[in-house]
Amino acid sequence: MSGTEGNLDAISLGIMWDRLISITDEIVSTLVRTSFSTIVREAYDLTAVVTDAEGHLLAQGRWSAPPFIGTAPLTMAHTMAKFPPESLKPGDVLATNDPWMGTGHMYDITVMRPVFRGETLVGYTMSITHLPDIGGAGFGTTATEIYHEGLRLPLCKLVREGQVDEFLLELIAANVRVPEQVIGDVMANVACNEVGGRQVLEFMEEYNLDSLAELSGAIRSQSERMTREAILEIRDGTYRNKIRIEGIDDAITLACCVEVDGDNVRINMDGTDPVVRRGINVPFCYTNAMALYSMKCLTVPSLPNNEGSTKPVQVSAPKGCILNAQPPSPTGGRHIIGHFVSPLIFGALAEAAPERVQADTGMIDLVNFVGTHKNGRGVSTIYFCAGGFGALRNHDGPPTVPGPSNMAVVPTEVWEGVTSTLVEKRALLPDSGGAGEARGGLGQEIIIRNDSGHPMTIFSMANRSEFPPVGLLGGENGPLRQHRVNDEVIHPKGQQVLAPGDRVTLREPGGGGFGAAQDRPREKVLADVENGFVTAEGALRDYGVKVEG
Amino acid sequence: MSYRLGVDIGGTFTDFALFNAARNEMFIHKQLTTSDDPSRAVLEGSTYLLARKGVAMAELESISHGTTLVTNAVIERRGARTGMLTTEGFRDVLDMARETRYDLFDLRLKFPAPLVPRNLRREVAERVKFDGTVDRELDLDAVRSAISELVDLGIEALAICFLHSYANPAHEKAARELAEREFPDLYISTSADIFSNMREYERWTTATVNAYTQPLFDRYLQRLTDGLAADGFTGRLLVMTSSGGMLAPEAARRYPVRALESGPAAGALMSAFHGRALKIPNLLSFDMGGTTAKGALVNDYQPLKQYDMEIARLHDFKRGSGLPVKVPVIDMVEIGSGGGSLAEVDERGLIRVGPRSAGADPGPACYGKGGKAAALTDANLVLGYLDAEFFLGGDMKLDVAAARAAIKSSVATPLSVTVERAAWGMYEIINEDVARAFRIHASERGFDYRSASMVAFGGSGPVQAMAVARKLKIPRVVFPAGAGVMSAFGLLASPLAFELARSELCTVAALDAKSFATGFRTMEEEASYLLREAGVETADIRLRHRLDMRYQGQGYEIEVALPDSSSLAEIFKDLPKLFLKTYASTFSSSSLDEPLEIVTWKVEALGPEASLSDGFSLESASDSGNALKGSRQAYFTDRYYDCPVYERGLLTPDMEVIGPALIEERESTCVIGPGDVVRVDARRNLIVELGDQQ
Repeated sequence: MSGTEGNLDAISLGIMWDRLISITDEIVSTLVRTSFSTIVREAYDLTAVVTDAEGHLLAQGRWSAPPFIGTAPLTMAHTMAKFPPESLKPGDVLATNDPWMGTGHMYDITVMRPVFRGETLVGYTMSITHLPDIGGAGFGTTATEIYHEGLRLPLCKLVREGQVDEFLLELIAANVRVPEQVIGDVMANVACNEVGGRQVLEFMEEYNLDSLAELSGAIRSQSERMTREAILEIRDGTYRNKIRIEGIDDAITLACCVEVDGDNVRINMDGTDPVVRRGINVPFCYTNAMALYSMKCLTVPSLPNNEGSTKPVQVSAPKGCILNAQPPSPTGGRHIIGHFVSPLIFGALAEAAPERVQADTGMIDLVNFVGTHKNGRGVSTIYFCAGGFGALRNHDGPPTVPGPSNMAVVPTEVWEGVTSTLVEKRALLPDSGGAGEARGGLGQEIIIRNDSGHPMTIFSMANRSEFPPVGLLGGENGPLRQHRVNDEVIHPKGQQVLAPGDRVTLREPGGGGFGAAQDRPREKVLADVENGFVTAEGALRDYGVKVEG
Repeated sequence: MSYRLGVDIGGTFTDFALFNAARNEMFIHKQLTTSDDPSRAVLEGSTYLLARKGVAMAELESISHGTTLVTNAVIERRGARTGMLTTEGFRDVLDMARETRYDLFDLRLKFPAPLVPRNLRREVAERVKFDGTVDRELDLDAVRSAISELVDLGIEALAICFLHSYANPAHEKAARELAEREFPDLYISTSADIFSNMREYERWTTATVNAYTQPLFDRYLQRLTDGLAADGFTGRLLVMTSSGGMLAPEAARRYPVRALESGPAAGALMSAFHGRALKIPNLLSFDMGGTTAKGALVNDYQPLKQYDMEIARLHDFKRGSGLPVKVPVIDMVEIGSGGGSLAEVDERGLIRVGPRSAGADPGPACYGKGGKAAALTDANLVLGYLDAEFFLGGDMKLDVAAARAAIKSSVATPLSVTVERAAWGMYEIINEDVARAFRIHASERGFDYRSASMVAFGGSGPVQAMAVARKLKIPRVVFPAGAGVMSAFGLLASPLAFELARSELCTVAALDAKSFATGFRTMEEEASYLLREAGVETADIRLRHRLDMRYQGQGYEIEVALPDSSSLAEIFKDLPKLFLKTYASTFSSSSLDEPLEIVTWKVEALGPEASLSDGFSLESASDSGNALKGSRQAYFTDRYYDCPVYERGLLTPDMEVIGPALIEERESTCVIGPGDVVRVDARRNLIVELGDQQ
């Protein structure tokens, strides 16, 4: 670049920008340390944000779940419309879990705190976490209307000038299953925003700033410029993609049209199927966020998040389609469908940005085990496992890596103690990575035996059992996901009872390959055979490479 | 026999500190590390320093030794060809890792290849359940034929890793006995023996790191002990562990993984030592060298510990892109910032400094060895913090023109700013990066850094420390005497110690005072045995007990330290109270109405404190001569100031200096900003109070 706008030179901008990100990181670590629920502590299903006085997002914690990169500005806009700056006082804290104003489902609470320097409102801090419970039918997809999904908290003042609204806390506590944990997490959000506000003020004092406006403008315009430069490298054109994915009942079509026009991108979801009467509908805020996330992966992945980097990308979806659900459609499991926005867009842009797109990932598999432990206590816990990661140009997908959502596996040694089941096998599936110049990451096979001495019910919601992870630009698809009980293939969505001694087998697909398999260098195929990632038969069949001996 | 020697092998330099306890005198020496065989520099340097002081090898009571040898062997993949035996069905645990992404936006994820390639792993039939009962007996014939195959493939070391061996190690032990008997040349590690805890991927990876580095470390220690013996050394050789305790060579050879990062651990330990001497209980220990900086927190005079570290990170020091190692370690944050960190225009179109580093060769542009990119050291030279004529005491001339040219082309021109402004930007970016790392590290641990002081050392630490302290609002920074060889001092301040752990899940309600005490007994004996083997008298052994506890149903534990003062039976009564207290301070939140569980039991055995009493005097210090040796221009914030330059060794106790000032010693320069106030204490440490100017 050649200098920045305004009075800030590139040196000051860089230093102050870093500090703002550091502040959001500290908000996140305070939040993680003080929250109760494992979902916050271990899955990092959260974010923290600093905005300027006009609500423009200018820094966000590095560890933020993908959907949150796009929802915060919309939430701020709603908030400022309902609570204009003149209605706010120092010590106020605002909150909501409204799916259409927040993050797409009621499990996430968004908490905002105006930052006052003396009497002047100079900005806001915001945090979002996934609550352990929000009442209603519980976490799942059985709801047919939003009213079944629990407590919906309109935008409200949770704290007035330092005084917590006890009635609101009582209201929340009275509507959820684990009130101590939920209230604990809500208050952790309040506390971390206080830390954030203090840090913002110290920062302004150190750098002698009366307002964040100029800095905010510089950060956003700089980010916008870098994103636009990256978009220029994507070939102009109109690109369409249509994918079939598994709903709860019937297959669902998602479609998109991506227009790349100079340094602008417009994405619309025309042709996408309508909403369904299951809790998997996606409010537009979430669709928008996943689309922005996907474009960030394709442009400047390491660019810090702020409103500037998302400005060149415009997203829209027809009202009432499953990617723009309206009230009272239920949305509890909006991520189940929403996560497919990434492969939808990557597929559309494969020809236009071949160096950047990723073939489909095998995605994650969540199986809920409900029963009785050998020791007599109840068991209700989720087994999580990942398929293989999709390949990128010249980059093999790593094995068993989740995407686009991120979680971590429960170690076998922990799992067996919690459930008193026994994992007989957890192994890579050779040849399960989609063949290609770059190979898809391997999937896995897991066999779990019910050793609890009691019947155990498993609930599964597996995707990719009808539609495999797709390879790109000549790369082969990965295999299908499959669940079996005692060697019999079972329906991948629904419930099954495991009698004592029964075995459930989970076969997780590898990721899609990238580029034509015959272009894969022979020595890479041979190395895969030596390590057993590809069998000798697979090498011959998929790559035309004959292995001696 | 009143001499003790500390030797710390770093990536570039090997540091020596010779301590005469009777006279409280310390002598230091520094020489280049001999990477091809590090024992050579140790032997040469020891001989040189002893000869200079007229001390015979036989007068040395002990040599305490820290080294990055083990870490480097993993980073550079120079370890042994290693095989692995696993439980049937679980050969792929090392490839599958934690099934998580360390970066959500960068899709080109890079995970480290396992130290044991898949074709050198074999499954054997056996199975232990989570409660330690046996589901399937170990098939010893399968063990024999698997090892035999691996030996034919040329393995030199073997890691034996079975599921739930922390609950019942019998199968790992039986396989080990067979291997030792029938394959006596193999180096063998078993996962529960290294550090016994739940979670197979982490425990097994730790075992493979141990196996992979064992042959190399064993041979190294053999060369060293032979060489020292030949030179007449009759004292005890001790090896520093990552957790700040000392091991006898026998134990160190068995557990090389415990010696990871032992040099930095010694530095943090020395910060705690200074805290005790200066009566400052809470400290940030800040060590910055050529390629990285290391931060540690000292709480109530003790460095914080943990049981988790990651080595050989592949992706910009990102957490999750390295190999996890679960052993007791001093809790340190590693930052990719050092004197060699290179500046570049980043994806924002602004500057970033590090984690790419110029290393020692070609090094920063000002070294004049052909480096063209601008490193932090180049910026510090342009800013006037370093003296081109007095780098390493004048042994190395720096090229100011080359530094300016590099900064101009890598930063100033692309960003349209002056060279000085660019240099100041590089300096400040590093300071922000370090401050951020400290903030996050501290806030994740609930440590209030604002009331703490900082101890700064390493070649680059004293140059940056005041600016970092200002960002953290830390009021006071200590520049200890001999900051360039802090780790070598730390080696002399560390007791013999060994910690063991055992995962055994049980509810507190199911225990009584007696069974509680019994639960620790075997570990107490085993940990004490290792100390007795190293020559510690039984009466001198102190035991510390810790428990990892949680509410039933929680997925995470907190560590509860049990008081040393009372008996285990009495502690048992107070256990719920102790847990609640720790819980509240960790989560700053209320209690739950759930039963309490113990997940892991830990015992640490410690030998007598290795005392440096309350300090020592350095030979380089002198009371004669004028400390003020000149002045030069140094840049702060927006302009150059005329700064007095002092010779550190000539500053005498109680002297006061008001910044801006530059205080030079051979290994580093303390940069004192305008308004900061320096006081020299009785031990010639510099205690600097942050001024309110700037």
